[in-house]
Amino acid sequence: MLTSTAAQSERAKRDDAASRPPRSRGLLLSARQFGTVIGLAALCATLWILTPHFLTLSNLLNVAEQTSINAIVAVGMTFVILSAGIDLSVGSIVALSGVVLGTVLQAGQPLAVALPAALAAGFGCGLANGALISWGRLPPFIVTLGTMSIARGAALLVTEGRPISGFDASFRLLATGRIGFLPAPILVMALVYLIAHVVLARTTFGRYVYAIGGNEEATRLSGVAVRFHKTMVYGVSGLTSAVAAVVLTARLNSAQPIAGIMYELDAIAATVIGGTSLMGGEGTLGGTLVGALIMGVLRNGLNLLGVSSFLQQIVIGAVIVVAVLLDTVLKRKHRT
Amino acid sequence: MRGIRKTFPGVVALDGVDLTLERGAVHMLLGENGAGKSTLMKVLSGAYRKDAGEIRVNGQPVRIDDPRDALALGIRVIYQELQLVEQLSVAENVFLGALPTRRAGLVDWTALHAAASRLMTDLGMSIDPLTRVSRLGLAHRQMVEIAKALAASAEATANQGAFAEASAYQGVTVLVMDEPTSALTSREVDQLFALIERLASRGVAIVYITHRLDEVFRIGRSVTVLRDGRHVTTRAIDEVTVAELVRLMANRDVAEHFPKVRAPLGTELLRVEHLTRRGVLSDISFSVHAGEVVGIAGLLGAGRTELARALFGADAFDEGNVFVEGKPVRIDGPADAIACGIGLLPEDRKADGLVGALTMARNMALPHGSRVARFGVIGPTSEDDLAKPIAAELRVRATPTQSVRLLSGGNQQKVVLGKWLAGDVRVYIFDEPTRGIDVGSKVEIYRLMNRLTARGAGILMISSELPELLGMSDRILVMHRGRIQADIDAREATEERVLTAALGLAGTC
Repeated sequence: MLTSTAAQSERAKRDDAASRPPRSRGLLLSARQFGTVIGLAALCATLWILTPHFLTLSNLLNVAEQTSINAIVAVGMTFVILSAGIDLSVGSIVALSGVVLGTVLQAGQPLAVALPAALAAGFGCGLANGALISWGRLPPFIVTLGTMSIARGAALLVTEGRPISGFDASFRLLATGRIGFLPAPILVMALVYLIAHVVLARTTFGRYVYAIGGNEEATRLSGVAVRFHKTMVYGVSGLTSAVAAVVLTARLNSAQPIAGIMYELDAIAATVIGGTSLMGGEGTLGGTLVGALIMGVLRNGLNLLGVSSFLQQIVIGAVIVVAVLLDTVLKRKHRT
Repeated sequence: MRGIRKTFPGVVALDGVDLTLERGAVHMLLGENGAGKSTLMKVLSGAYRKDAGEIRVNGQPVRIDDPRDALALGIRVIYQELQLVEQLSVAENVFLGALPTRRAGLVDWTALHAAASRLMTDLGMSIDPLTRVSRLGLAHRQMVEIAKALAASAEATANQGAFAEASAYQGVTVLVMDEPTSALTSREVDQLFALIERLASRGVAIVYITHRLDEVFRIGRSVTVLRDGRHVTTRAIDEVTVAELVRLMANRDVAEHFPKVRAPLGTELLRVEHLTRRGVLSDISFSVHAGEVVGIAGLLGAGRTELARALFGADAFDEGNVFVEGKPVRIDGPADAIACGIGLLPEDRKADGLVGALTMARNMALPHGSRVARFGVIGPTSEDDLAKPIAAELRVRATPTQSVRLLSGGNQQKVVLGKWLAGDVRVYIFDEPTRGIDVGSKVEIYRLMNRLTARGAGILMISSELPELLGMSDRILVMHRGRIQADIDAREATEERVLTAALGLAGTC
């Protein structure tokens, strides 16, 4: 009697285990993000030991402020990569939007005119990318490669290759202003992440971004306007690039047509280090933010340690590869 | 194989399973989806490492730690998803990884083609080795895959010089086939079975995984049933009956295979007139009434899936008119079709039906964005609220946070169905609704069809399984080369009659 009930409960337990769905993916994702956060923490701890100056409020704020521009560009990049696309034009869009901002301000227009103009320029470039990809059925790589060159050329053409500088003090507030002890660029970054997170997690648009990246054909056959939403994804990327351009221009007090070179690679790196799959459909903005911070902290730390900028490039490249390698190995282990 | 055990985090996939294979015999492996058939075969082929148990070949215990070990032992597995490089020729695919070369490392094309033709002839396949795989139909691809599996042993047994002479499949001891016929028409199945018998007669032990019970009795010599990762029984084929096997698999009596309930016919829901897509569909006209199941039969390539996709707006068509409830409608895309109350259960649910990384609720809510969201913002529980009653009705086994790619085939199919049950759909297009799913889920889907017709929906059901078409339809349209060849009342239809029309031999329009 006793043994039979024991056997029964054993069987019940086993049935329960069998009918319970595997939770490995949930654990994996959280483990993955946990891993990135641990990586960031380990990096900070190491730098704290190596250089006393690292863990001061002013330096940390400095890191966050420097990271803010890449972090904002990486928001749009995360949307694009989640939809299984790529956007190589973000750096050039940063330059073009900045130049539009500078030109309009220089012409004596108020910020209330210049800011929307700059944002519209970035958004417009993104929409053009998206329309060519969706309706023209061209590969994102090629389209945005073309835009990368076109937007850069346009920025150089408008400015004749010269930077535009000397802005009103009120505009400079976007870089120098503070609320409490937090500098404006960090606040802008926080605001962008907050809005983008809500869009991604809580709107139909956000859901469709994941769905398109996960399985575009199934999404189309669910009646979702895939072309429209894909176009909007690139629009978002152009828009966040323009926001980054505004912060950058205010920080430099100058709009430069050669600004934003290699930004696309930094943004892709932040996104990928943050755990977003280049195949699309999986990833989070939180991960991207941590990814951007890892890159920022690394640059700052290497500077504090007096590592040459040439060597820095090698280290950062290695970190990107190692982060993705770890990710791949981890996922493979979980699969079999 | 004895006492094989394999666990995944949170799940015991195999729990002490035994399997014995005999030289020259076809052994059938049965079980519902999730019973552990595929996992067992992955252990055998080295794709998974077992946690416990023993594998012996010819009485000798062997270690199979990775796929190379299995290959060296002559174990070959042909998976449901074919693994061919479409851009390459048949010969190149068959000998991929073992291409014969000349001294300079250049491919020896003459030897390659000679070896490929010899292998093809030997296996009784009438496929030109120079054809590109992308130009072959599914049945022929299946055969190429078999030839490839058998050819892989040539690599192990033959050295470079002897390549041309090596009798290709002498090294193969075990060949595993996972539902090889699920995409084949009956004539193609005959060809495949002839090939299987030829292989068995040469001493290959064959494991054949299937959901089609008629096949078990056609080619099997013995049968093993798995359920929930456990070994249920192994019997000689003449000791069991269909009903017994179904009961053993499901552990419940499925009283009837096709629980068809005829619903009273109502008004006309869908009418198609002269639908034409050049080169694919020509002059197709028919209608579907409320309460009616219209089956569509036809061989592979007859245009059945193309018709479904055209009606749903997935592909554009050149001419023709579509009427929904008597009113002419324009269908320019899936969104238009959905707005007209048409839902498509696609043939390939993984590729066309589901977003694997999303949860069940999010998949089900995908076509209903405007219902779960206000001004584009999704309510915190609105997707779950939408999905819950449907999941309950369909008895989907899934947790709210689980991504659908981890579900079994039957549960996945129910999720795709759920997408349309959640909406205002009155015309359901089911393309191979029971392909690759277990008997229990099949019956549940048939019952669901009954409930849908009872509620006044109309169903257009494409199927390659004749018994299913005959058992569940009210009327059967038989397609042949993009045309409707025959329109038969299911009560008067016989397999021969449908097949004759599908072959284009006769029409009874």
